[in-house]
Amino acid sequence: MMKQASCQRLFLVTALLGGLNASYAIAQEATQSSSSDSKPSEAKNEDEIKLQRPQGKPLKYELPAIDPTKVAPPMAEVLRESIPVPDRWRIMEGLGIKQKNWDPYNQNVYKGDKPFEAFKKWGEDWFLNLGVISDSLLEARQLPTAVGAQSSNGAGSLDIFGQGQQSTINQNLIFSAAIIQGDTTFKPPNYEFRLVAALNVNRTQVEEVRATNIDPRRGRIRNDSHIAIQELFVDKHLRNVSDNYDFDSLRIGIQPFISDFRGFVFQDNALGVRLFGTRDSNRWQYNAAWFRRIEKDTNSGLNDITQALRRDDTFMFNVFRQDFPVPGHTLQLSVMHNINREGNQTYYNNNGFLERPAVMGDTRGHDYRVTYLGASGDGHFGRWNLTTSFYAALGRDDYHPLAQQATRIQAGFAAAELSRDFSWIRVRATAIAASGDKDPFDDKESGFDAILENPQIAGADTSFWIRQAVPLIGGGGVALSGRNGLLPSLRSSKDQGQSNFVNPGLTLVGIGADFNITPSLRVIGNISKLDFVNTSSLEVLRNQGNISTDIGVDMSAGLQYRPFVSQNVVLNASVAALLPGKGYKQLFDSGHGNTQYSVLFNLLMTF
Amino acid sequence: MKRRLFSRSVFLMPTVGLFCIGALSWQFEKRPIPVSANTPAAVNCLASSIEGSSKSCGTSYLNNNQPLIKLPSAPPPPSASVFLTTTDVEKIISQAVGEAQARGARGTIAIVDRVGNVLAVFRMTGASATFTINSGRGVTGGLEGIAILPDGFAAISKAITGAYLSSQGNAFSTRTASQIIQQNFNPGEISSPSGPLFGVQFSQFSCSDLMARQIDGSFGPKRSPLGLSADAGGLPLYKNGFLVGGIGVITDGLYSLDLNIQNFDFDIDELAAVAGTSGFSAPTDIRANRITADGRTLRYTDSDSLVSNPGASAPFASLPGSLVSVPGYVAATTSAGTGYGSPQSGIRPDTGTFASSNAYILVDAFNINRYPVTGGTDGLLTSIEVTQILRSGLDIANRARAQIRRPTGSAAEVTITIVDTQGEVLGLVRTPDAPIFGIDIALQKARTAAFFSNTNAATELNALPPANYLVPASSSSISAYVTQLQSFMNNPATLSNGIAYSNRAIGNITRPNFPDGVASAPTGPLSKPLSGWSPFNLGLQLDLSYNNLIASAVGSPIVGCTGLSKLRNGMQIFPGSFPIYRGNQLVGAIGVSGDGVDQDDMVSFLGLANAGKILGTGIANAPANIRADTLVPNGTGTRLRYVQCPQAPFNNSTAQNVCAGL
Repeated sequence: MMKQASCQRLFLVTALLGGLNASYAIAQEATQSSSSDSKPSEAKNEDEIKLQRPQGKPLKYELPAIDPTKVAPPMAEVLRESIPVPDRWRIMEGLGIKQKNWDPYNQNVYKGDKPFEAFKKWGEDWFLNLGVISDSLLEARQLPTAVGAQSSNGAGSLDIFGQGQQSTINQNLIFSAAIIQGDTTFKPPNYEFRLVAALNVNRTQVEEVRATNIDPRRGRIRNDSHIAIQELFVDKHLRNVSDNYDFDSLRIGIQPFISDFRGFVFQDNALGVRLFGTRDSNRWQYNAAWFRRIEKDTNSGLNDITQALRRDDTFMFNVFRQDFPVPGHTLQLSVMHNINREGNQTYYNNNGFLERPAVMGDTRGHDYRVTYLGASGDGHFGRWNLTTSFYAALGRDDYHPLAQQATRIQAGFAAAELSRDFSWIRVRATAIAASGDKDPFDDKESGFDAILENPQIAGADTSFWIRQAVPLIGGGGVALSGRNGLLPSLRSSKDQGQSNFVNPGLTLVGIGADFNITPSLRVIGNISKLDFVNTSSLEVLRNQGNISTDIGVDMSAGLQYRPFVSQNVVLNASVAALLPGKGYKQLFDSGHGNTQYSVLFNLLMTF
Repeated sequence: MKRRLFSRSVFLMPTVGLFCIGALSWQFEKRPIPVSANTPAAVNCLASSIEGSSKSCGTSYLNNNQPLIKLPSAPPPPSASVFLTTTDVEKIISQAVGEAQARGARGTIAIVDRVGNVLAVFRMTGASATFTINSGRGVTGGLEGIAILPDGFAAISKAITGAYLSSQGNAFSTRTASQIIQQNFNPGEISSPSGPLFGVQFSQFSCSDLMARQIDGSFGPKRSPLGLSADAGGLPLYKNGFLVGGIGVITDGLYSLDLNIQNFDFDIDELAAVAGTSGFSAPTDIRANRITADGRTLRYTDSDSLVSNPGASAPFASLPGSLVSVPGYVAATTSAGTGYGSPQSGIRPDTGTFASSNAYILVDAFNINRYPVTGGTDGLLTSIEVTQILRSGLDIANRARAQIRRPTGSAAEVTITIVDTQGEVLGLVRTPDAPIFGIDIALQKARTAAFFSNTNAATELNALPPANYLVPASSSSISAYVTQLQSFMNNPATLSNGIAYSNRAIGNITRPNFPDGVASAPTGPLSKPLSGWSPFNLGLQLDLSYNNLIASAVGSPIVGCTGLSKLRNGMQIFPGSFPIYRGNQLVGAIGVSGDGVDQDDMVSFLGLANAGKILGTGIANAPANIRADTLVPNGTGTRLRYVQCPQAPFNNSTAQNVCAGL
C-alpha cells in the first residue's frame, strides 16, 4: 500500500511537524507570559541596588532573620508548579473530560490516543489501537453463464449460454489491533505490531448448475464463510537520518502493499519484508521489499493462511520524488521482479475448479519470471490533476501452454487520467492501453498482465468491465477478465491463477465526472469505450475466426453518501451496464434481454 | 516466427486470390494457383482481409447465404489426384523401421490410405506377432487382457485412426484419441466431464454393415480390426498438404492409452511413426496441438526427437523384416492408395441431389450411391422429407463454426445420415472434407437415438445374450443394464415409455459416473462402475458388440455387430443425433459426426428443426415434454441434457443460443 502508506506516513510526519510547531508556539507563549510576570522580582534581586535617602548615607539592606515557621518564599529558579497527571495525553482527563469508549472522534485509549495502561509494565508510551470495519455488499448482475455441461437446471436448456442473472451477498467484519510504541506525537513510533483479521460470510445465487461449484449436484446457491488474517506484522523504526525525522523503517509480516498510485500491477496483503523510509524532508520516499503471496480463499478473496504459501515471489524497489517536476506532483519509479514457480502444481480452488495450471492450451504447468519497469506520476499541474502509469513487462516463461515452448515476455501498459475541478464538479478523462498478444503460438508473449491488479481508475468497481469476471470458455476455467480487474488476461482467476501474457490486450478511452452535490453526497458517472488490441488468442481458445476487437461501451453511475461527513459511515450504490460491441457479441450471448449489468450496494461502517 | 509468417503468407496468398475473385472452391481442387497469378485487386483484398476489414472481397455465396470459402488462409480442399504411391509406402516404412532400429526396437508397421485401404503391413524381424490389450487401469473384463490377436490388427487400427480422425483442417493422432475418450477431459482433471469423443473407439468395426472390407476392392471406408486406437504410434500422412492416409506402429506389444497426459511420454511406437511421416507430415498449423476444445489444446505427439535420419533411410528391399499378410485386410504386398474423392476411394462428390450443396456421397464398385435418399422402410418418412432434412443439415454445417479445424473461422465438416425406426439408412451425405471416422459414427448415432427412443428398446435389449468376455472367461449381462437403468430412473417403464433420447442424453447415462466426471457421484446405469471401468471395458456400448467383434477378429467377419437389426454397426454414446418425430410418433433419427460434439448436436437438431419448418409436414424434433431432459434420475437431483448447441455457432455472425425454444 505504498500510496496509502506513504500518505499515512506523510500525514503522520506533517502532523508531527504541525504538533511540534504548535507545542513550540505554546511554550514560547508560556515563556513570554512568565517572563513578564517575573520582571519586578528580577529587579529586586539585583545585587547592586542603590537605596539612599537624599543627602544621607546609604542604607544597608539586611535580610530579615528567617522564621522557620513561615512558608518559604517562592524560589525564582525552580520549575513551574503543575498538577501531577500520569502523562501528557491525560490533560483533558485531568480537566474532567471523560473518555467515551465508543467515541472514536475524541481522545480514546482504544484508538491509540493515549498510552494503554495495561502495557505500562513494558515501559513508557505503549499505545493500543483497535478498529472494526463492517463491509456489507449486495450485488446483482447479469453475466454470461454456461449451462452445466453434464446437467442443466431446467429442461429445455438447448444451448451453451443459460440464464445469466446472479446475486451475491458478502459481509466482512474486519477487526484490527495495533500495539504501538513510541513518542507518537513528536516523531514516528519505534515499534508497531499489527493484526487485522476478517470474518467473511458470503452467499451467491445463480440460475445454472455448475456455476458455483464444479459438481452440478451442488445446485445454484452457494453459502460460504471464511476467517482471514489480512495483516500480521511488526514494524521497527530503525533510525532517523535527519533532523526532520527522515527515517528508515523495517516491516516484517503479512502487510498491505500497492505497486503504484492506482494499483495497476500489484496490490495485495502478502507475506513480506519491507524496508522503507524517507530522505530530504520527505521529498524522497523509498521501498525495498520482498513479498511471497498467500493463497486466497476462493469465494471471499481474502488470505487463507491455512494453506501453503504460493510459490510466487516478488522483489520490488521503488522511489517517490515529491514536487517533481513541479510542486504538487509526485513521480514514482519502480522495478518489480516477479518469480513464479508453480509449474509443477495442480491446484483446485474451493469450488473444485482447476486454478493452476489454468485450463488453457495443453494445461501443462509452467514457471515464469517477469520484470516490471514502471514510471508513474500523480499530482497536479496548476489546476489540472494528472495521474499516469507506464509499465514494461519483460521476462521469460519456461513453457507457455498455448505456444508449447519456452517464450519471451515483452508487454507494455500505459494509463493516464486527467481531471480538473470546476467548483463542485470534477471532470475526468481516462485513457488506458495494455498490449495484446499477436500470435499465441510463437515464442513471444506480448499481452500485458499484472501480478495482482486492483485498479482504481475509470470508475473502478462501479463499472461493469472492471467489477465483473466474465468466463471465457465453457466450464468456467478461464476468465476473460478478472473480478475487480481491468486486464483481459485470460487467467483462471485474478486471485489464485498465474499471470498470463498471451491475451488480447485492452484499450480504454473514457470520460467521467464526480458531482459533490453536498458535503455528504457525491454522484459519480463514467463512460468508457473498451476494445481488445488483438483477438488472436481469443480466436485460438474459442476456435473462432474474425473476432472483432470491439468490446463495447461501459456506462456506470454511482452514488456515495456519507451521512456524518466522515469516512465512518459510507454508503455506496452503483449501477453499470455494458453495451456490447461486436466482439463481445461474438463471444457471448448478450442480446435479447440479456443486458450485461452490475448493481452494487455497499455499506461501510468504521470504528 | 518470421519464417513461419513467411511460409504462411506464401500459402495464404493464392487462396486469397481465389477468395477475392469469387471462384468456386471445387474448381481448384488440384493446387492453388501460383502467387504470380494474383491480380492487384486480389492483393488489395488480401490487405483488407489481413486488417480484418469488413470490406467485401467478392465472396461467393450459395443461395442460402453461405460463403463458399470462409477464410483466405484455409487449407486446400481435398484432392482426388494426390495419393500414396507404392514408392511412398515403401519410403514411409523404411523411415519408420530406421527409427525403430536406431532405438533397438522391433515392431510392425501398417500404412493405410485416407479411406482405410491397408497398403502394407511390415513386420520387422523379431517383432512380436501378437500384442496385449491393457489400459493400465488394473481392470479386467471387456477387451482388457486379450493377447491373442495378430500384431497387424494393432498397427492397422492405429494407422486407420491417424487417417480417419484427420482432414485437410485437422491432423489428429492416436494420442489425440487417447485424450478425448477418457472419463475426464482432460484425463486426470478432477470432476471435469468425460472426453468429448467418449466411446469413439468402438466404431469402424469389422462387423459394421457400413464399413467395407478387403473383398470390396479399393472402395472405402474400410473397417478397422479393433475400431479406433488410443495407443500412441498412429499418425496421419500428408502429401503436399493433402491428407493421404495414416501410419500405425507397434513395437512394445502393448495396446493401451495414455492415462497421464501432463508428462511427456517417450514412446518408441510414436517416434517410429513420426520418423515414418518424414516428408509426409501434417502441416504444423492444423495439428491437434493447435486446436482447442473448451480452451484445451489437443495432444498430437509427445516427442518427435528422432535418433535416426529419415532422409537417409535404407532401401526398402534391405530392411530387416518382411511384408506380412493380415487376413481380411491386406496381402503381403504393397499397394498404392486411392485418391480421396475419386470413385475408387468409395467417396466422391455428389452429382445428383446434393451437388448444389457440395456434398460428397459413398459409392460402390459401380460408382453408384450406396445410400441414395429413400423413404422409410416403415413408411413413416418420405424421401422428400429425408432430402430436406439432409439439405438443411448441410446448410447448418456450411455456416457452422468448426470446433476442430484450423484456421479458425473454418466451417464445420460432417457426415449426416438419416435412419428410419428400424435403423435402415434413408440417406447419407457428407461435406467434402469431413473426417472419415464420422461416416460410421453418424450412422451409429442415428441408430442409437432411434433405438433407445423406441418403445421396444427394453424388450429387445432384454432378449440379448450376455457379452462373453475372453479374459478372464466371464459374462456380462445386457438385461442387467436395462434393470439398472429402470431402477436408476425409478421407473420400470424406462426404455419402453416413449421418452425421446438424443445421443447426448444417452451419453449422460453411459458414463462411469452420473453426473459425468464426478468421481463421488453414483455409477452411470449403462456403464461399468468407475473401479472396473476402462476405455476397453466401458459398459453397454462395448458389451452389445463384444461377441461379434471378437468373432470377427478371430474368425470370419460377421455382418452386424449387436444382434439387434436396428443397431447393426454398434451403439455410439457421444452427442450428435436426435430422434425424428411427427407429432408424438417416432419416425426415424438423424445422426451427425465429424466436428465438435456441440456442432454435431446443432447440425442435427437445428437442421431437423429447420427442415420441419420448410416441409410443413409435421416433421420435427421430439415434443419438449417427452425429451430426455425432462428426466431427473431418482435421488440425484441432476437432470439429463438433450442437446447443446455451441457458443458462437456460426462464422461471421454474432448469433448465439440459436437452438433456444426449438
